Amino acid sequence: MRTRIIAKLDVKPPYVVKPVHFEGLRKMGSPVELAKKYYEQGADEVMYIDIVASLYQREIVFDEIEKTANELFIPFGVGGGVRSVEDFSKLFHIGADKVILNTYAVQENPELINQAAQIFGNQAVVVNIEAKKWDTWYECYTDCGRIRSGKNVLQWAKEVEERGAGEILLQCVDSDGRQRGFDVELSKLIVESVKIPVVVSSGAGKLEDIKELIQYAKPSGVAVASVLHYDKLTIREIKEYLRTCGIEVSK
Amino acid sequence: MSQVIGLINYGIAGNIHSIKKAIKEAGGVVKVISVKEELKSVDKIVLPGVGSFKDAMHELKSDDLFDELKKAIETKPTLGICLGMQILSTLGFEYGKTEGLNLIDAEVKPMLVDAKVPHMGFGNIQIVKSNKLLEGLENEEFYFMHSYEMVNYTDIATLSNYGGHQFVSAIHKNNLYGVQFHPEKSREAGIKLFKNFLEL
Repeated sequence: MRTRIIAKLDVKPPYVVKPVHFEGLRKMGSPVELAKKYYEQGADEVMYIDIVASLYQREIVFDEIEKTANELFIPFGVGGGVRSVEDFSKLFHIGADKVILNTYAVQENPELINQAAQIFGNQAVVVNIEAKKWDTWYECYTDCGRIRSGKNVLQWAKEVEERGAGEILLQCVDSDGRQRGFDVELSKLIVESVKIPVVVSSGAGKLEDIKELIQYAKPSGVAVASVLHYDKLTIREIKEYLRTCGIEVSK
Repeated sequence: MSQVIGLINYGIAGNIHSIKKAIKEAGGVVKVISVKEELKSVDKIVLPGVGSFKDAMHELKSDDLFDELKKAIETKPTLGICLGMQILSTLGFEYGKTEGLNLIDAEVKPMLVDAKVPHMGFGNIQIVKSNKLLEGLENEEFYFMHSYEMVNYTDIATLSNYGGHQFVSAIHKNNLYGVQFHPEKSREAGIKLFKNFLEL
């Protein structure tokens, strides 16, 4: 089984930004140009997350998403500010293959997961879980680590699977953007607790971090952002390195 | 002259954008078909598919173009992609039992495998019976995104392996072609597959 290497774009339209520890934003380039660059480097997928749509309660910026989709011949996951079946439908029609849900599902209406899964199929529904570590448990956050939900990450992961989500994107509020390694314990816990694929994000700083995560937690995919945006690593380098470690990845 | 590919647009579950883009990239002309009158002018047909077997069949059947489409699929070269391949089967078992288009003797069932489901990611294909659609693609990787598989014994073109489990990844019967994977999401290899389809 090949572990997917996914390029993640956190977008504050019209720019890809890099939240550091989910706060402070740095402009990294345009989604179109970066998506194309990572596609050409051999990314298995691209994820595009509008990180301010929910927070500012504004409409999804469809233009930028469509332009980005046009550059890609690999799966394209899109999220941020998704609130209805109509949003799902619009996103698929402009080129999304998967829609990534967070705030609305966790804070207001988890039923949207069920509805979307039944209409569009499980494989098209990804739930983004932003986990914040407390002493004895992990709490689900939303809006880029700004808002608490009171929900327990482990229970929520099982619930979204039960409701029909086809994939979990696990982000760690504490390690995001810091490039100091993943939360491998949490990753392993979630991967082993659900049957659906889990993509782990937040924390890649060097090649070894990615290898350790894959070997220890066995996620279905790893999403990387900072190391790519800062040109510290390319997708190709990551894949070549993983291959030399005996980890299967696609071409 | 460029071939006109009729891409069937049925209901909200049709994910046609990326397929349209990939066929164009391969050099084809795409006509999105929503009403039956438009079917006459196309050379070939592509059946897309995102969503559940049940909803897809429900949408198709309630659509005014259903009868004409079924006739067209029986004669024109047709490519079903993912769910678009699955609904060519006799029966589907997603959200209850649903009759398919019954053009391929097959049933669509959940993947029973000791690995994460949905199966998502790039995988190989192993050619069982070669055909022109797959020419030059033996060693390529294609993107899979599915929880259900087509169970068929008579029209298998390729098999693939996921978590130690072998499943049908492409079928071929006369003018009908189907792929479980998503050529429109499989980089250059997928574009090549569409080129092959245009050349059929």
